Amino acid sequence: MLLQLNHIYKWVKQGGKRVFLLNDISLQVEEGEFISIMGPSGSGKSTLLNVIGMLDEFQEGEYNFLNESVHTLKEKHRSKLYKEYIGFVFQAYHLIDELTVYENIETPLLYKNIKSSERKALVADMLDRFNIVGKKDLFPSQLSGGQQQLVGIARALIAKPKLILADEPTGNLNSKQGEEIMQLFKELNQEGVTIIQATHSEANAEYGNRIIHLLDGSKTKA
Amino acid sequence: MLKNYFKIAWRNLKKDKSLFFLNSSGLAIGIASCLMISLYVWDELSYEQSFDNADRLARVVLRGNVNGEELKEAMVAAPVAKSFKADFSQVKNATRLSMVYNPQVQYKNTSYEELKAAYVDPNFFELFHLNFLKGNPKTALENINSIVLSASEAKKYFGTENPIGKRIQFQDIEEALEVTAVLEDLPQNTHLQFDVFIPMQHNTRSTSNSWVTSGFATYLELQPETDLAQLEAQIPALLEKYIGDQVKQAIGISYEEFQQNNKLGLFLQPLTDIHLYSDFSPNTELSPTGDIKYVYIFSAIALFMLLIACVNFMNLATATATKRSREVGIRKVLGSAKKQLITQFLTESILTTTFATLLAIGIMALLLPAFNTLAGKELALLDFISVQNILLLIVFILGISLFAGAYPAFVLSGFKPLAAITSKVSRSGRTTSLRSGMVIFQFVISASLILATIVVYNQMQFIQHKKLGYEKGQVIVLRDAYKMGSERVNAYKEELLQNPGIASISRSAFVPAGETDNHLRGIFKNNTYLRKFFFYDVDEQYIPTLGLELIEGRNFSTELKNESDKVILNEQAAKILGLGENPIGATFERAADAENERLTVIGIIKDFHFKSLHSEIDPLVLAYNPYGGLIVKTKNADVAGILDFAEEKWATFNPEQAFIYSFLEDSFEETYRKEEKMGVILSIFTMLTIFVACLGLFGLITFATEQRFKEIGIRKVLGASVTEIVALLAKDFIKLVAIAFLIAFPIGYYLMQKWLQDFAYRVDLELGQFVLAACITLFIAMATISFKSIKAALQNPTQSLKTE
Repeated sequence: MLLQLNHIYKWVKQGGKRVFLLNDISLQVEEGEFISIMGPSGSGKSTLLNVIGMLDEFQEGEYNFLNESVHTLKEKHRSKLYKEYIGFVFQAYHLIDELTVYENIETPLLYKNIKSSERKALVADMLDRFNIVGKKDLFPSQLSGGQQQLVGIARALIAKPKLILADEPTGNLNSKQGEEIMQLFKELNQEGVTIIQATHSEANAEYGNRIIHLLDGSKTKA
Repeated sequence: MLKNYFKIAWRNLKKDKSLFFLNSSGLAIGIASCLMISLYVWDELSYEQSFDNADRLARVVLRGNVNGEELKEAMVAAPVAKSFKADFSQVKNATRLSMVYNPQVQYKNTSYEELKAAYVDPNFFELFHLNFLKGNPKTALENINSIVLSASEAKKYFGTENPIGKRIQFQDIEEALEVTAVLEDLPQNTHLQFDVFIPMQHNTRSTSNSWVTSGFATYLELQPETDLAQLEAQIPALLEKYIGDQVKQAIGISYEEFQQNNKLGLFLQPLTDIHLYSDFSPNTELSPTGDIKYVYIFSAIALFMLLIACVNFMNLATATATKRSREVGIRKVLGSAKKQLITQFLTESILTTTFATLLAIGIMALLLPAFNTLAGKELALLDFISVQNILLLIVFILGISLFAGAYPAFVLSGFKPLAAITSKVSRSGRTTSLRSGMVIFQFVISASLILATIVVYNQMQFIQHKKLGYEKGQVIVLRDAYKMGSERVNAYKEELLQNPGIASISRSAFVPAGETDNHLRGIFKNNTYLRKFFFYDVDEQYIPTLGLELIEGRNFSTELKNESDKVILNEQAAKILGLGENPIGATFERAADAENERLTVIGIIKDFHFKSLHSEIDPLVLAYNPYGGLIVKTKNADVAGILDFAEEKWATFNPEQAFIYSFLEDSFEETYRKEEKMGVILSIFTMLTIFVACLGLFGLITFATEQRFKEIGIRKVLGASVTEIVALLAKDFIKLVAIAFLIAFPIGYYLMQKWLQDFAYRVDLELGQFVLAACITLFIAMATISFKSIKAALQNPTQSLKTE
């Protein structure tokens, strides 16, 4: 088992009343799964992903990741944990504008204190694999959306994470580019990477082997 | 990783060029000013430090108050050195120096003038360890007919020949003096600026036993660990022992009685205090002194400039935080620790600071000559290049980077990753109020400096236009004319009077500004000692030539013989003598070598400022005793032509001497050179400070408008006018500037009040000056703000609303 959420509640106060963002979410994810989270805007998809990614906190419930209870960990340990095991892919790519493709992909390795020669080899492999060797010295602004997202995924994969969290990875792409990205996810999943994606699109959700429906912060039956 | 930090930092700086420019130019100006002033302060503080035993040397000075006359003299009587050494075990050695006035040297038929020469005791070089290039410091002045020269002076006379053993003729000393030693030129930073030293025996007054006349700079070398204050406490007893009798003889009362109504004593001044902590009358000092007050003022300005520049850096960096927040967020998601982000931001600040420092050194190299002229220094950048100073500079750069960069680095790296990515970190209350605080700080300093500049300017104007009681315009002083000899001066004077452009000529060595003779004499009334008065030895043309106003009695006259015991007083002297309603014909006595002379008052002149406006008008006596050079008052005519004429005639009377003249008006301005320079320096640094503060303000308003881009669009759609939007943007900043006034003005008031204390005649601090300072500051701030905000307000609203 990769991770487990038990009765997670997350709320914000608005005018003295609790507005629930996540309402009693329980979820168990095994290694090698490909899960799609679906639901309309504001249903809590992103919040759930952020909680799983340890970027966001929750008020109640338990969260275990690889047998570590995340809810009791200190910030420092938590960031160590996600640095090690989780890769993020964003709708808006979130590449660093000042860095080249090569450097964007390299960045997570820098923060893991990996030696320069090893970094070179790893990044070169990744560029090769995604067929973007020729673009390695370009800056994000010089790439198309699809290419940018490829770089984003390459960056998420570079540190060999167990889990990839993708928040609407195709949201800013046209359908053809979107399809390519989803195909890529499928291949990655077949190689053993666990993937959780949030999506609007029924078609994209079908790539997963499990679909979770959210509405107003609660899981609903499909 | 380190390389990566630098690479990223470099790209970030390159990307935001305008921010980088604002940051580094502001810092560079701050650092350049700071370093430049540091050189100045360093130099001022280094005086006398070149003597390895400086901490054990002290100068004997005289302070006192006799019948209301304040005495502050850096020279003391001839026997002081001898007695101190004999009576105090703490005094290891004592030596004296006295100036040679208008020295002249002759070698092989060439005569040299304008040299700086001193009589010194033979043991002088045992106290002052000067660097001897040739000769032995112990024996150099043992022989009465020896002379010691500085290297450059020796070169002047002998060129490349070996000076040792050469004989030169010194002034009126009959036998030629033999060069026994050559010194390395004395450093700039000592009050002993001499090139020629001759034995003290040649000064006839040096063997005098009188404790009443002075004229000897006297230095003591103390035993190690001597407590100055303790030694000073023993001086009064010594004084009583030695001068009790002399006091009684001179003024007829015992020393004890004398001290009851008067204060007079000798004190010790550490050698290293001479340059910055002396307040002695300038004519008793060997060379012009500095003033610790100006060292403080300039240090404060340097510090403030640097602070303002750093504050700018912090302000701009935190203000742009929102721009960088997404990057921070992504990096954190990618696994960056807070520490790594801090290092990243500090690297940027180190790069900026290093660049700014290099720029600053460039600016300094360019401006140092101008600064030297202003400050009267000979500072050179090259003199300061040493391993130690380069290390110091690196520490300085790191210090500034840390100081300016630490706060933004901590703020930025503290963002929560998720909030940072989604740009929810808007203007958080904490950084905004801190930023406001920093803007206030900058404008407190700017406004205070503006106020100070205005007050200094007003005071200088006041001095220029103050009614001095004499006419300083169109007066030419030919002080050196006395050198042609009395008869020839008078003939020369008659020749000059032929020129119709000349109104009158007076013969006197006394002028109210510039180089002048000084003459103080003890005054007795009914044979009781009163105090010392200043005496001007003048002729009958003096009053008209200087435009003095005779308010009672008559001027001197050539028709009446026997004017030598007649005097004209100023009002102050008449008051002190208590002459009342009918001063004409009153008499008093003046101290003389044998018997006191009786003087009769024939006239009263209106008080005039015969000394600088720093001091109150002292009592003055004009006595009829024409000697010295000439003072020429011209009519409203061609002054250049008159000077040509005077020079031509001069050559016929006195071909050996150069024609040297000065304008009284120039000399007058020279008197206030220190303050004027300080005014100029102050205004320059004020402008720089304001400029740097405005750079910061400009940066802040830029980001404020960027942040409110959308709000401005919406407001315009809703019908806001351009002025309303500018007002909206400006309001926040103007409020801060207004708060700055409330802090700046009390501080400015206090400090300027202190500065003005130096002048006996001064302007008052008025509301108007504060209002003016406020207006100028506000105007500058407004101009800076409007530049950006008007542009923002003129923007087409659809553009700003389309962005989301």
